[in-house]
Amino acid sequence: MTYFSRAVLLFICGIVQIFFSAHLLFDWNILDLPSDLMFIPGILVLLTWAILSLDYHFGNKDSKVALYDEYIADRFYKLGAAGYSITGLGLFGLFAIQDYSAWSLETANAFILNLSAFFWFVFGSLIVIFSYGDYKESVDG
Amino acid sequence: MGKDHKDLVVLLTQKRKEAGITQASLAEAVQVSRKSINAIENGIYVPSTVLAIKIATVLNCSVEDLFKLHDGTFPLLTESKKYD
Repeated sequence: MTYFSRAVLLFICGIVQIFFSAHLLFDWNILDLPSDLMFIPGILVLLTWAILSLDYHFGNKDSKVALYDEYIADRFYKLGAAGYSITGLGLFGLFAIQDYSAWSLETANAFILNLSAFFWFVFGSLIVIFSYGDYKESVDG
Repeated sequence: MGKDHKDLVVLLTQKRKEAGITQASLAEAVQVSRKSINAIENGIYVPSTVLAIKIATVLNCSVEDLFKLHDGTFPLLTESKKYD
């Protein structure tokens, strides 16, 4: 694994999350995606996690000390913290704007879809920003 | 990304240059990425105790030679000098 391949892996993972979440949030019908394809971002997250974990444990020893050092770990923690803070605020907002007087199974279903789409959107965007920044820093910084 | 700790004075760049070591070779010696060394030198990231000791060992100095607090940021620091 190199900085470039990691950036590409994370970028794809993030951009797919953004695409699927935008599809849900803004009712895009560009590709006429059936709802049973919505598992794809989740599968990609699991695959990315598996590839990075395997590389961390069994990858080239010389490259992994640089790729997974404490500075990067600190970045990942900050990324996670930012994601949870934003989604927490979003969760509060989404709960606040619901019309509970007209609550039904349909509105609850739409609410859950919006909620999951918002979570994918936030974490997808953060992963894309991280992948770009991480690679750029490895070249320039 | 901003400074991680505004009270910290990082003297790593100076010490590293005195030792005639590049960021890349220091990074290789302490087993981190070059950008981590760069981030530490620019005050963007404050290293762990273990990494600070590793860097000090490679540069043949003490951790206090690499990192110190601005004068007056910690009153006990100046107080403790009375008892030296």
